[in-house]
Amino acid sequence: MAVLNKMRQSMARSWSLYRSDFRSMDKTQIFLLLLLTLLAVFMLLPLVFIFNHAFKPLHELFLFPPTFFVRQPTLQNFTDLLQATQDTFLPVTRFIFNSIVVTLLSTVGMVILGALCAYPLAKHPFPGRKIVFGVILLSIMISVETMGIPRYIVVKSLGIMNTYWGHVLPILALPVGVFLLKQFMDQVPDELLEAAKLDGATEWQLLVRIILPIVTPAMATITILSFQTAWSNSETSALFMQDDAMKTLPFYVESLTSNLANTVARQGVAAAASLIIFMPNLIIFLLSQRKVIQTMAHSGIK
Amino acid sequence: MANILFNQVYKRFGKYKEIAVSDFNLTVEDTEFIVLVGPSGCGKSTTLRMLAGLEDVSDGEIYIGDKLVNDIPPKDRDISMVFQNYALYPNMSVYENIAFGLRLRKLPKHEIDLAVKRAARVLEIENFLNRKPRELSGGQRQRVALGRAIVRTPQVFLMDEPLSNLDAKLRVQMRSEIINLHRKIEVTTIYVTHDQIEAMTMGDRVVVMNRGIIQQVDSPEMIYNKPVNMFVANFIGNPPMNFIKGKLQERDGELQFYTNRFDLTIPPAQASTLRSLHMIDREIILGIRPEHISFEPHRIEASSKSLVTGVLQFNEFVGSDRYYHIDIKQDRRLVIRANEGIRCDDGSLVTAAINMDKALFFHKDTEMLLTK
Ligand SMILES: Nc1ncnc2c1ncn2[C@@H]1O[C@H](COP(=O)(O)OP(=O)(O)O)[C@@H](O)[C@H]1O
Ligand SMILES: [Mg+2]
Repeated sequence: MAVLNKMRQSMARSWSLYRSDFRSMDKTQIFLLLLLTLLAVFMLLPLVFIFNHAFKPLHELFLFPPTFFVRQPTLQNFTDLLQATQDTFLPVTRFIFNSIVVTLLSTVGMVILGALCAYPLAKHPFPGRKIVFGVILLSIMISVETMGIPRYIVVKSLGIMNTYWGHVLPILALPVGVFLLKQFMDQVPDELLEAAKLDGATEWQLLVRIILPIVTPAMATITILSFQTAWSNSETSALFMQDDAMKTLPFYVESLTSNLANTVARQGVAAAASLIIFMPNLIIFLLSQRKVIQTMAHSGIK
Repeated sequence: MANILFNQVYKRFGKYKEIAVSDFNLTVEDTEFIVLVGPSGCGKSTTLRMLAGLEDVSDGEIYIGDKLVNDIPPKDRDISMVFQNYALYPNMSVYENIAFGLRLRKLPKHEIDLAVKRAARVLEIENFLNRKPRELSGGQRQRVALGRAIVRTPQVFLMDEPLSNLDAKLRVQMRSEIINLHRKIEVTTIYVTHDQIEAMTMGDRVVVMNRGIIQQVDSPEMIYNKPVNMFVANFIGNPPMNFIKGKLQERDGELQFYTNRFDLTIPPAQASTLRSLHMIDREIILGIRPEHISFEPHRIEASSKSLVTGVLQFNEFVGSDRYYHIDIKQDRRLVIRANEGIRCDDGSLVTAAINMDKALFFHKDTEMLLTK
């Protein structure tokens, strides 16, 4: 209920803003508004589709041309999903459980590591820090696929194949998160840290008691980013998990929809699983959207 | 409580940069209130920050009490500091801001509570202990910053331009409050300001700095009346001291200061000093405060040998007094501070009498005071 209330409040707020602005707009602004609204609707379509698709009965799933809206909603796909995997001795709940464990571990790890990495980059002028930061920025641009083989070698020699560590360690570094956090920490005045130092704070206390509380919006943002990265990660399952029992939900969904396993019956299951994967992202984003947008506006990314 | 000793302290930022603080020697007595003053960029903050441990010392020693503190981290120096922009922790309430240092020192809860409430009472901020810093006015924030500083009863209290962000009226009020606070808690205090009025009104002693070098350390009275060089004479006092360029000559057994526009006779005491320094026929600079020049007719009659004439350019009304700016064909206009009662018209030729007993003489090149 609290969640719903919060959503309602924020919607009411944006609507009243929207209305009051509308009157004082000139032609260009109205044109831009229309354009952006159209764009937003366009971007929204896949979401609408995912929602409706999951509730379509079998014959609606294969309609041509495909429809956006479901006509006779059913929960059949979800029951199918629960039963689909019984023949392999691995219920879908096992994948969901794996996903939750991996996502929790990774998210916590990414956030802590990001903060620990960003703090010295922002507030301690050690020699070579510009180079380190440059390398981190550069790594944002390198696509994950290119790192598959080296990662495989590292994971293999660490002996963490088929363990949760094999899921978590490869994705633990989140360069975008470090970047965001550093931009925010840069803005914390040095005097604040100096005052705390004179008050007797250690480096650790400076970070935990002064810096982190001030950069909460950024922390919220990278928590979401981390969550999404970890929750939607199917790569580590594909590369490092030969044991099916260690694989995660996104991998399972991919295998359902991939060409190899493609059967007519599984389309419905895949649609339901997609929705399950998508839901946490949506909920988290709606809850924290204002903080996130604040972050984007601050960091100059928007 | 402790005294402080700076022994030949230097600070360089980077190898090839200009020196920020140079050969800084100073002893601050226990419970003293000493003010560092100087134009912005002269190294006041750097000096303070070295004492606090926020900047490394490039060379020299700093002692607090009998302890060499060069290599002691800030948190172990038992110092508290008030910053210009208050530096309150925005995520904590006023109470937590003040309690923070005590909590880090792991004091028992009831002692913390007692100390915070006591500090809050002294500074009259009891009513908003639960507010966040952003919900306070500038003056209230400044009090909280002071509260945070005094609550730990440190050995040394540092303030870096704590009043510069306040409006003029509040600044005057806080000035006296800080002095009262110091009388109450009697902690050795170093106060940094670029405002010479703050320096003069607050300091037991004043340290005037310029370009990283101490110019003079003295009581406010001595700094005002016997500035050691032209920099101090010019920096302290508002409007600043007048400087007149001229030469010395002997005439009729008297020593005269002359320019191409007027001659001024120098009183015997100063004359003998100047003679002994062999300054005759050399160029020299006469310094005279605006209040030591007068328009009053009886003064002008009585001192026929120390008159200047010039064209009154304009005058400024400042309430009790009026500042007259007079063109005497020097680099700078002569400024006279005179009582409201006397009126002259702008553009008219005026005559004024210089009180030569109050005149100071500076060396033209070294700019040092000659008549000690
Ligand atoms: N962190 C720093 N790096 C390089 N130069 C600095 C630094 N801090 C201060 N300086 C220089 O040192 C000099 C003195 O600065 P400061 O002590 O802040 O002056 P003040 O407080 O008297 O205005 C200035 O010339 C300033 O540019
Ligand atoms: Mg300063």
